[in-house]
Amino acid sequence: MHSRILTVVLVIALGFTLALLGSRSGRVHLPGNQQDYEPVQPIAYSHRLHAGELQVPCLYCHFAAEQSRHAGIPPASVCMNCHRLVTAPLGALHAEEELAQKEKRPPRPLVSAELRKLYDALALNAKLESDPARTPRPIAWTRIHQLPDFVYFDHRAHLRAGVECQRCHGPVESMERVRQVADLSMGWCVNCHREVNRTGVYGPAVRASIDCSTCHY
Amino acid sequence: MQHYWKSLEEREHGALAEGEFPENPLQTPAGRNRRGFLKAAGFSFASAVLAGCRRAPVGKAAPNLVQPEGILPGRAVYYASTCTACPAGCGLLVKTRDGRPIKLEGNPEHPVSRGGLCAVGQASILGLYDRLRLKQPLAGGKAVTWDEADRAILARLDSLRSLPGAVRFLTGTITSPTVAWAIGQFLKGFREAQHIQYDALSSSAILDAHQRTHGVRVLPRYRFEKAEVIVSFDADFLGAWISPVEFTAGYSAARNPELTTPPLAWHAQIESRMSLTGSKADRRIIAAPDEIDGLVARLAGEIESGRPEGELARRLLAARGRSLVLSASQDPATQALVNQINHRLGNYGATIDLDQPSYQRRGNDRDAENLLREADAGKIAALFVAGANPVYDLPGGEAVRKVPLVVSFAERLDETAAIAHYVCPDRHALESWGDAEPVSGVTGILQPVIQPLGGTRQLVETLAVWAGAPRPACEIVRERWREQHPDDFENFWEATLERGFAAREPKQPQARAFVSPQPPRQNTSQAGWSLVLYPTPGMLDGRHAYNPWLHELPDPITKVTWDNYASLAPGAAGKLGITDGDVIRVAGLELPAVIQPGQHERTVAVALGYGSRLSERFAQAGPEWIEALPTLGPNGRIGWNAAPLARFENGSLRYVRAGVEPVKTGRRWELARTQDHHSLGSPRRPIIQEISPEEFATARPAGDPREELWPPDHPFTGHRWAMTVDLNACTGCSACVIACQVENNTPVVGKDEVRRKREMHWMRIDRYYSGPPEAPEVAHQPMFCQQCEHAGCETVCPVLATVHSEEGLNQQVYNRCVGTRYCANNCAYKARRFNWFEYARQDRLANLVLNPDVTVRSRGVMEKCTFCVQRIQEAKMEARRLGRAVRDGEVQTACQQSCPAGAIVFGDLNDPKSRVAQLMRSGRRYRVLEEINSRPSVGYLKVVRRRGGQRHG
Repeated sequence: MHSRILTVVLVIALGFTLALLGSRSGRVHLPGNQQDYEPVQPIAYSHRLHAGELQVPCLYCHFAAEQSRHAGIPPASVCMNCHRLVTAPLGALHAEEELAQKEKRPPRPLVSAELRKLYDALALNAKLESDPARTPRPIAWTRIHQLPDFVYFDHRAHLRAGVECQRCHGPVESMERVRQVADLSMGWCVNCHREVNRTGVYGPAVRASIDCSTCHY
Repeated sequence: MQHYWKSLEEREHGALAEGEFPENPLQTPAGRNRRGFLKAAGFSFASAVLAGCRRAPVGKAAPNLVQPEGILPGRAVYYASTCTACPAGCGLLVKTRDGRPIKLEGNPEHPVSRGGLCAVGQASILGLYDRLRLKQPLAGGKAVTWDEADRAILARLDSLRSLPGAVRFLTGTITSPTVAWAIGQFLKGFREAQHIQYDALSSSAILDAHQRTHGVRVLPRYRFEKAEVIVSFDADFLGAWISPVEFTAGYSAARNPELTTPPLAWHAQIESRMSLTGSKADRRIIAAPDEIDGLVARLAGEIESGRPEGELARRLLAARGRSLVLSASQDPATQALVNQINHRLGNYGATIDLDQPSYQRRGNDRDAENLLREADAGKIAALFVAGANPVYDLPGGEAVRKVPLVVSFAERLDETAAIAHYVCPDRHALESWGDAEPVSGVTGILQPVIQPLGGTRQLVETLAVWAGAPRPACEIVRERWREQHPDDFENFWEATLERGFAAREPKQPQARAFVSPQPPRQNTSQAGWSLVLYPTPGMLDGRHAYNPWLHELPDPITKVTWDNYASLAPGAAGKLGITDGDVIRVAGLELPAVIQPGQHERTVAVALGYGSRLSERFAQAGPEWIEALPTLGPNGRIGWNAAPLARFENGSLRYVRAGVEPVKTGRRWELARTQDHHSLGSPRRPIIQEISPEEFATARPAGDPREELWPPDHPFTGHRWAMTVDLNACTGCSACVIACQVENNTPVVGKDEVRRKREMHWMRIDRYYSGPPEAPEVAHQPMFCQQCEHAGCETVCPVLATVHSEEGLNQQVYNRCVGTRYCANNCAYKARRFNWFEYARQDRLANLVLNPDVTVRSRGVMEKCTFCVQRIQEAKMEARRLGRAVRDGEVQTACQQSCPAGAIVFGDLNDPKSRVAQLMRSGRRYRVLEEINSRPSVGYLKVVRRRGGQRHG
């Protein structure tokens, strides 16, 4: 009887230990750790395509990062800088153009399903003009990198010090869907601050404070 | 060493050490045992595990579709505007974050307020996010659309257009040229209609007196910065009289030992109750309210004859053209005598500006009295009320009920709006276009900083609709301004919006030569009791009685929160057997008594602005728990309305009433009074220090704290943040307390929690008396975390939730704090505050005022002043972005920014040229409780005390 209880307890303990060990491999996490969070976004925007293949600089869209504590999610108007003209994947557009030339007709307008969502949000009609009959509706993206409410992070200082985006956000340019790479724990922040105080950020010396009130106030 | 005391009990019995904790921590509550403990512990552990075992909630972020220019998420944008919390018209910079205003700051360039902003102004932002603000028009108490309201009102008005004298428009003082014009335009459609202005806190007699002596009915502009001798008869110009921010700035400029060229202004205050202004006077003369007018007459006689008998006349005559005599008397004859004194002293054109007069008070009490009489007689067919609440704040205001059509423009359902037939709610100032001309020649602008939060409509728009020419307010204001500046208007308009004000050509009133007034009939002093009604710096005339911040702000003198009361002199109270909290009956009003040192023996003083309908909302103030006591009084409101006790006499509203004897009722009413909270120990400690001008002239620069045997704990290689507080400049006005509360998301705790010493203000102003209780001297000391180098709190924290930073800050880390409260126990300055509850955060609309840069603390967490570390961080980050060092003056703490007296200076001590480093070397600088070697980062500058003492008049 006693030995059976003992076995049950041991099995549970073993399972728990395995789960803990497993967390190191990035699948299971302790509460509060959002590492590897990779939510589905309302629009399947591909950083791999934009930042990787097309090499759009990060700061083109996340322009607030240099001036504000938040890098910000770009307003739809920034998307429209290109997508006023590019309404579908380039390959599809080229194919349609070739087909149209072959068939001696003007190319049909192509709008991809994902970009349609962008135009809908902006309440644009088929000609990409503002449609007064529809109401614009902001796009509610799902936040990935979320710090607790008692933590204040500032992008400005990190950019100024020469920390590149990938150091914290991982190889975003290779991600189809953005995933949280770092665990964003306090130890992870402080270790980097300690390290760069010794080594500098790629050379130049910096002063990365490890005071509590640098981030907590 | 002077003996200082905070309350009469402390003076009698020494420091109230047993009062530090209201409950005895050594007492174990009965009925708790080991089993119970284990059960509770097991349950808590299990629930903590359950609570922890989930992923963080999914957060959404919806960026703008089209980013407005110049706005970035996370960056504050400041808009210049003008404060409309009272008619003083101070300049504002409205801090907005992500499209919502979160803080009002003073505009340092504004020629009237010069960068300060009072407690009421600071708190007025909460009015924007008021859940109970009217959102649409009301007809007979029922919500209607604007179309319905307009049609119904116009239908009623059409029949009145040709009826002579049937329409009256009643307002408070209108400083806005556009609003005054719009009312005038609207009234043109009626025969013999009249626009009547009155002030609940009236200065009508000053205007009437200038009508008599100078032929123009205006309020002159007082220039305290030019005065060397100031004699004030009962005028509380630093507290709540006309334009306290402007006057405080001038007053402290004239009395700054470091900056003012000698001599420092000398100030005598003749008054019957202890006012904020009296607490700063070099000489305070206590006189009965009915004696004060006689003293003015005596002074006038001495000045007229040129043979001074008393000190006042001697000093005044020695400072001709550099002196200033003021009176708050509501007797025009007395005010005419004051004019005569100032005229003989040559103060007109020097310290008193009649060429560029003030428009901060325009009310005419005689008109208001006539209006009430007409209303009572049924002569008025339609009454429009804007920015005024006559039913509440005028004696006999109930007569308004007899008017068959009352239209109110109130933002909230106040007493007048509640009886009005139609309410057409005006917008909050932060949603409005407008202007304000507080003094002739300076016109401030109001610009909206947020989309209107409800279906309200601006007064000028409503009037434009009724006049048949509907136009948006922006166009109306611009049109008015374009008439003044036809050339290059667009550029001028842009520049004005950026600066917040424009200098206009002052309209010179055609003042005629001085005419000597008739000598007033000498009132014989009746030697009976007098009742004095006065405004407090926090509540003024009661128009902000909806504001919980102002109710929880301790009165600067009595330190009472959440109530008004009848204050009595200690001697008189002793004779009548009255103690603090005894309910007494005064002229039909039953109020708790407060024994006030320094008050005249035969005077009862009661604050105005309380007992308003707007305070009924505080039934739920404070946490709900089994021992909680209600915040509201037996009348269902906060305090009692004393305004009906004022009366009209000879065409002016009198706030003094003779023959009012206080009678003890035998009941008691407990007040929430903070004066004995957070005591710094023995009153014989040198907490307040004073210096005479002679001593200061020869004082050596203050040195560093004592040498130490050990190497310093903290090298402070970068910045070293420090602050100085000038106790000589500090008037105790409490603007900083509210500024700190707004900036740092400090909760309101309600009356019961204040009673339990749980008020959460990070900054408090300790008020100390010294000398005899009949005529004490007063010192105000702002007290907050001193950011000690050897901090008592840091050594006792078991979880390192409070540690020292490299820049000299004593950091409080909320997420580490487990709430042992050891730190608060060990803090010598009693500057730490504990969150006993999850204090009211349910009001989602009011939560919009929260500063997103400061954590909202949860229950069980200790908190305290951080030196506004969020502002330090912001300045450092911005400087780093721009690739330069932080400049001196770039970091301003919230308290420093709001201080009208400029008493608080913050900066980097490691920069020897910074202002704070210079002041730290001043011969007036000392540190509080220096003897315990806590090495605080805050230096206090000693009170400059000129012993002239006090006497009974």
